[in-house]
Amino acid sequence: MKRYKSLSMLAMALMLALPVAKSAEEVGDKPTQPQPQAHNHRGPKQLMLENSDGAKITLWKPDLSTQPLTFEHGGITISKTGTDNYHVVIAEKDWGDSKETVIRYEYQFGRPSKRSPSELAGTVKTAFEIVPDPIPREHNHYHSDQTWGFLLRIHGAPAAGIPVSLETDNGSQIQALSDEFGRVEFHLPDDFPDIVAGERDRRSAELSISAETQDAGIDYQTTLTAEYRVAPSHWQSTRMGLLVAGLGLIAGGLIGKTKKPAGKKA
Amino acid sequence: MNGIINLSSIRKLVQIAAFVFFVYGGVITGYYLEDKISGALPALSCAYDQQGADLCTLIPIQHQMDHRLGEAIAKGGNLMMGIMPTLITLGTFLLLFVFLNKAFCGWICPLGTFQDFLYMIGQKIGLTRRESLDEGLVNRIRPVKWFILLILVFGFPLLAGIGMVNHDLGDPFCRICPSRILTTLATGDTSQLYVDTANTTTIVLSLLADFLFGLMVALALTVRQPFCRICPMLALHATFRKLGLLRLVKNGTPRCDRCGLCAKACPMDIREIHTDMERRDVTFEDCTLCGRCVEFCPDKDVLQMKYALIPVFTSGPDYFKSRKKVQTKWGKSNLIQWFRRGRSKAQVKTP
Repeated sequence: MKRYKSLSMLAMALMLALPVAKSAEEVGDKPTQPQPQAHNHRGPKQLMLENSDGAKITLWKPDLSTQPLTFEHGGITISKTGTDNYHVVIAEKDWGDSKETVIRYEYQFGRPSKRSPSELAGTVKTAFEIVPDPIPREHNHYHSDQTWGFLLRIHGAPAAGIPVSLETDNGSQIQALSDEFGRVEFHLPDDFPDIVAGERDRRSAELSISAETQDAGIDYQTTLTAEYRVAPSHWQSTRMGLLVAGLGLIAGGLIGKTKKPAGKKA
Repeated sequence: MNGIINLSSIRKLVQIAAFVFFVYGGVITGYYLEDKISGALPALSCAYDQQGADLCTLIPIQHQMDHRLGEAIAKGGNLMMGIMPTLITLGTFLLLFVFLNKAFCGWICPLGTFQDFLYMIGQKIGLTRRESLDEGLVNRIRPVKWFILLILVFGFPLLAGIGMVNHDLGDPFCRICPSRILTTLATGDTSQLYVDTANTTTIVLSLLADFLFGLMVALALTVRQPFCRICPMLALHATFRKLGLLRLVKNGTPRCDRCGLCAKACPMDIREIHTDMERRDVTFEDCTLCGRCVEFCPDKDVLQMKYALIPVFTSGPDYFKSRKKVQTKWGKSNLIQWFRRGRSKAQVKTP
């Protein structure tokens, strides 16, 4: 039994742009896919942080500078930093004999940062850290049914042989063990309910990856949270694509077919 | 230059190196978009290729039309701020473009290289190829690249940003570009070859993309550079070709006996190289600066490739004879003949 409640962060701003899934009961018997809404990527982002009393919250910018964030009205607001690319929010709680951290990588729009996200990922930001390896490339996202890697670092060194667990809002749980390089891979579960085959589904949900270890008598607990979306393979058929490309090949073969010039051999 | 070492073989080596670098070079430059070399390459190096070293200028232009200029118009915002990212992208494009001009098409573009090699494969497997397309057909095809540039690269993305068409038309050229499918397949990623059933727009665009890709592959076996002829990058190059340091120059002196070999050698069927005796700068809008016309011109100094007014490659009878000899030998050997020779040798040996 732990004597403290875990920190947990959820993205609220993203939910405005990407509506939360409604259950079948809410929308009637037939599941209805959410409709696309106007994007507002460039505004401030809000993150909800639970059990945040006494937590130190820091925003890491692409240029590796930091800025303290304050907890207000049940959440954290990341104002426009004016810089494009990934930022990292880290909430840390120090209990003396245990340290607890929640980490989240968030994309912010603005002027080009001219700094690679690899710098942000490579920088030690907290004692025990889960780092996306790689972070989804700019303008990309985690999707279900994809495999992604993560690195575990303790004081900047690879944390090998640590049990890691992935949980999703949709109820999936996966366990894994970090390898000798501190790396762990997860195949993100394709667990969104009420998926209609062939229809685009813009829902998103939260996933969290957690690990716990001990070092020099201190218990470290860390969680990386992120948003993941429905796999496009539910409405994008590669088999059909191959078939259509095949038809193009046949058409091209017919159009490009030429008669051999008289008297000439191949 | 003699024998096997000639401008074409050097070009092939550069093309292979550029293909490997721009399709797989992310291993060197880095995985993230911020790691890419320019973000505005004047060649179809696709951003969807997660392992690429750079990305073509057409993708940022479409996104800027949609998300910056289009939104600025729709919201009544500052138009200068809306157009500024596109100006920066075009400026970066021009910085690179000035160095090689349209040679980005003929020497660097991964899709151009792919089509070049398919044509070679077509020859080697003994397919009967079209040496050149009819003049009328070439003239009818030429405006298509301008249409694609104006409508698909600038028009629809801008309308999507303004809100007049749906957001799936925010990057319509990328949705149909064969380089997207080619470069992702080349890295083992099949996710870009699909039919997208999300809505009518995505169905039409994805069907068109897949069909166009198959069509291009089959056509490239018998027709030279089929997609290049309608590529909007070629049109963008044509717009700025007067700024490039590398040029194709013609000295229309009496030494030119109007044999037409230059036009016959041109993979883009530019007959004007042969017929135009007035202009000195013959870097025509469809030219990819591959240099084949200079190689196959038998007349001394009539055709030249000049870099900043300095001749770097010049036509001449000696080079022509040597090149022609290699080309004839190369053109005669293919798999069908190889099998036939093998069979006839076996028959001779059989008592």
